[in-house]
Amino acid sequence: MIPASFDYVRASTADEAVQRLSEAGEDAKLLAGGHSLLPLMRLRMATPSLLVDIGGMRDLSYVKDGGDSLAIGALTRHGELARNELARREAPLLAHVAGQVGDPQVRHRGTIGGSIAHGDPASDLPAACLALGASFVTASPRGEQTRSADEFFTGFLETALAPDEMLVEIRVPKSAGATWSFQKFNRRAQDWAIVGVALARNGSTRIGLVNMGATPLRATAAEDALAGGASPAEASSRAGDGLAPPSDLSASAEYRRHLARVLVRRALEEAVAG
Amino acid sequence: MTTVSAVSSTAVAPARVRSASLGTSRKRPDGGPKVKGEFAFSSDLWAEGALWGKVLRSPHPAARITGIDTSRARNLPGVKAVLVADDVPGNPFFGLEMKDQPVFASDVARYMGEAVAAVAADHPEVARKAAELIEVTYEPIDPLVDPERALDPVTPPMHPMGNTVRHISVRHGDAVASGDVVVEGTYEVGMQDQAFMGPESGLAIPDEDGGVDLFISTQWLHVDRDQVADCLALPPDKVRLHLAGVGGAFGAREDVSLQVHICLLALRTGRPVKMVFSREESFLGHVHRHPARMSYRHEADRDGRIVKIEAKILLDGGAYASSSTAVLANAACFAGGPYLVPNAVIDADVVRTNNPPCGAMRGFGAVQVCHAYEAQMDKLAAALGMDPVELRLRNALQPGDELLTGQALTGAAPVAEVIRRCAEAPLPPGGPADEPGSMTLPGGAGRTADPTRVRRGIGFAVGFKNLMYSEGFDDYSTARCRIEHGIVTVFSAAAEVGQGLVTLVEQIAEDVFGTDKIIVAPADTGVGSAGSTSASRQTWMSGGAVDAACRKARDSLLDLAARRHGTVAAVLEVREGRVVSFDGEIDETIEEATGGAAIEETVEFRHAPTFPLDERGQGDAHVSFAFAAHRAVVDVDLDLGLVKVVEVTTAQDVGRVLNPVQVVGQIEGGIAQGVGLAVMEEILVDQGLVRNASFTDYLIPTALDMPLVQIAALVEEPEPGAPFGAKGVGEPPTISSTAAVAAAVRAASGLALTRVPIRPEHIALAAPRQGEAGS
Repeated sequence: MIPASFDYVRASTADEAVQRLSEAGEDAKLLAGGHSLLPLMRLRMATPSLLVDIGGMRDLSYVKDGGDSLAIGALTRHGELARNELARREAPLLAHVAGQVGDPQVRHRGTIGGSIAHGDPASDLPAACLALGASFVTASPRGEQTRSADEFFTGFLETALAPDEMLVEIRVPKSAGATWSFQKFNRRAQDWAIVGVALARNGSTRIGLVNMGATPLRATAAEDALAGGASPAEASSRAGDGLAPPSDLSASAEYRRHLARVLVRRALEEAVAG
Repeated sequence: MTTVSAVSSTAVAPARVRSASLGTSRKRPDGGPKVKGEFAFSSDLWAEGALWGKVLRSPHPAARITGIDTSRARNLPGVKAVLVADDVPGNPFFGLEMKDQPVFASDVARYMGEAVAAVAADHPEVARKAAELIEVTYEPIDPLVDPERALDPVTPPMHPMGNTVRHISVRHGDAVASGDVVVEGTYEVGMQDQAFMGPESGLAIPDEDGGVDLFISTQWLHVDRDQVADCLALPPDKVRLHLAGVGGAFGAREDVSLQVHICLLALRTGRPVKMVFSREESFLGHVHRHPARMSYRHEADRDGRIVKIEAKILLDGGAYASSSTAVLANAACFAGGPYLVPNAVIDADVVRTNNPPCGAMRGFGAVQVCHAYEAQMDKLAAALGMDPVELRLRNALQPGDELLTGQALTGAAPVAEVIRRCAEAPLPPGGPADEPGSMTLPGGAGRTADPTRVRRGIGFAVGFKNLMYSEGFDDYSTARCRIEHGIVTVFSAAAEVGQGLVTLVEQIAEDVFGTDKIIVAPADTGVGSAGSTSASRQTWMSGGAVDAACRKARDSLLDLAARRHGTVAAVLEVREGRVVSFDGEIDETIEEATGGAAIEETVEFRHAPTFPLDERGQGDAHVSFAFAAHRAVVDVDLDLGLVKVVEVTTAQDVGRVLNPVQVVGQIEGGIAQGVGLAVMEEILVDQGLVRNASFTDYLIPTALDMPLVQIAALVEEPEPGAPFGAKGVGEPPTISSTAAVAAAVRAASGLALTRVPIRPEHIALAAPRQGEAGS
């Protein structure tokens, strides 16, 4: 499968990249690891007229201590994040989830910024960011902006990012003392999750869900039940409440709700035990 | 995937075959290039000045076509030809068993993906755009998608030849015999795809003589050639087919896909034309395994001996016949399994519907019924309170027994031995609870499975099928051996599709001449037909033909040498590539022995004749049978419905092992496809529309999903009449591996699970759930 033709430029700084985007209008897309965008282009579900390649900006690949939070450059590859000592210590859920994305080839090329900016409900990292209360720093001609993960995912493959805006950093509150669990269900090794659960328990419990709706989202009904003192079993029974999971070739909505209940319960039990 | 193999020491005894060549593993000539990415597959072909072909396909499973306007496509710069049904000079229909499929749909489209027009252009993008510019006016029709409805005589025919492609009644023994114990069940098999990696592709080059050379990946060059020549209205010798690198076949390349279209385009434009299917087109553009619905009733006596089997078998053949009649014959003939069935009443049908056409796939009708009869055997064992393996042993066919078609088993039939050897093999150690949080749990590294909710299940199944073509088909293979300038060259049109015949041909020729200086010529239609690379037949048929041709050439060589030396051939032999006399007086190279002459011998090799089934489904329809047993061990997380196939153990009746590593390869590959059908592989069709024409959505097991394969035994009982005593080994691994995995999941879950593939929700939403609040 061959994508439609497109123009290609390489940007070496975030400012240059957003400048290019703002000149080109809505038909331009950023290219980082290419693992979300290129498959869509090959299927011609995406036909950008211009690709701005930001994959070479190695200065946006880092994990830094930012005081109360961890600062992760948007171009940090999944494999780098999974192996990073600081991330493993201060945001172990995120490092673990990065190590569960796709297969080694995907983790070698895919970037955390790309995964989040794509806004795919089937991706693992957005759910982990929701569970960890992460925030996202962006650059645009209007300057730098920070949004919480909770306000970032707005629709199916849609985010709060403006067409000329670029995600540059992910900030994750340090959670060295938190307990956590990640449950990824797929029928076949290395596939996308049919349903996934990323759970962080640090005083309160936050639960991010994979593939349980049009966006990466939280199991708020289950979280509220826990906050109200419900047992893991009671809370997990509400894991699908208020959600409209898709029925597709992989699973019916009913089965997804069932999986969410089972996986949230298992995640809670693991996090409590941990 | 790792193989625990007992092949090298006990099962394979090279001393029992004639030479150091046969019976040993060796490197495939195409192995290195394939691993290094240097092998030229048919999609890698190119010719100077070649155009790109593209086919326009019907988006509807059933529609009347009231108009096709190609003018906009023709006017697109770069477009060199746009062809529709009226442009077919010869027979507008093709097909393997009956010519019922149009080259291009003209008045009605009968399945989603049916070809309507073809385009050649100077760039693949131009060809794609041109196809989009063809304006076809469709009037969609309510598709006939339920095979039961297709069978109903009141349903209007969706094809001029009718909805029923074939009906077979088997009436064997006493129809009113009855047993003490009765078990009944209804079973289903979904539509599996062959899922080869290399998409359909080819290159057609027009010749000045008005003919065409077609470089194509296929399973049978001559049957393609005959269909192409018929549609092109050319004599067969003007259509020359050359085998291009084949990226897997498994039955899906038995039918014509792009062959006619690409040759038409090449002849119309006078330029070479290349075509490569996209993955979506590939799923739409080849036949699949027939989905099946089967109702069974087994009656047995209190000792567990089968008294009678009644079965109704319905296969959905999709829009066109393809090889449906032969698939149905297999389903009917093997409906009882490898057991002595004294009385049988079987009614089997295959029908046309507006679903995707179905045809050949590894196992060919035997897979579907095995899923049903083996589930029935487990039910029967449970009803009798008998061990399932013991029940199978008690009923196992033995040499001399009659099949339910009345045919007596005259060849090797080590059914009890494959059952026993497979059942006696050690079980994998431990269970899921031993390794909490381990990679070995269902779900692997994702740690989704909960060890306390994982149950292990063990399932056992036995299957069999015919080798070679059946029912009176004139099944033969041609081979030629030429000795010239001291070089031995072997010619065969047999298609190497990845199974390893190229290696075996070398081994056989080496065995005859005692030298590895053998050239195996590329396969093409310059030599007679080798028959299809299917039905587990090429080792027997083309192996036999190559052996016979080489021996005949060797005998001619010895005659020639004897005449030159004024002696008799009986004192000469070919040893290590030299012609030598027993007394040592003559010792010369093959080149010297021929004295400048060329020797060429061509042989047509046939197996013993077979006969059609009569109106009671009785007759000696098959020439040989192969048997295999499988034992599957699975771990199932009952809450999630997640299945991990831990191990599949097998014992297989192989006649003789000619190349151990290739036998193991066939077994592992066949089990991979069997496991796939059991737990994930299915073309999802909704009202005739294919929903998952991609490898994202059509799931096949990855290396991580593939179980450990333990080969408990390769049972070597030489088959009478088979060259080297060897049976084909390609299909038996797929037949009962699916049934064994399904049985294991049933054992683990306690659920009936009558349909394969088993989807996780069929387990999770049915199993009694523990520990989940609110349920």
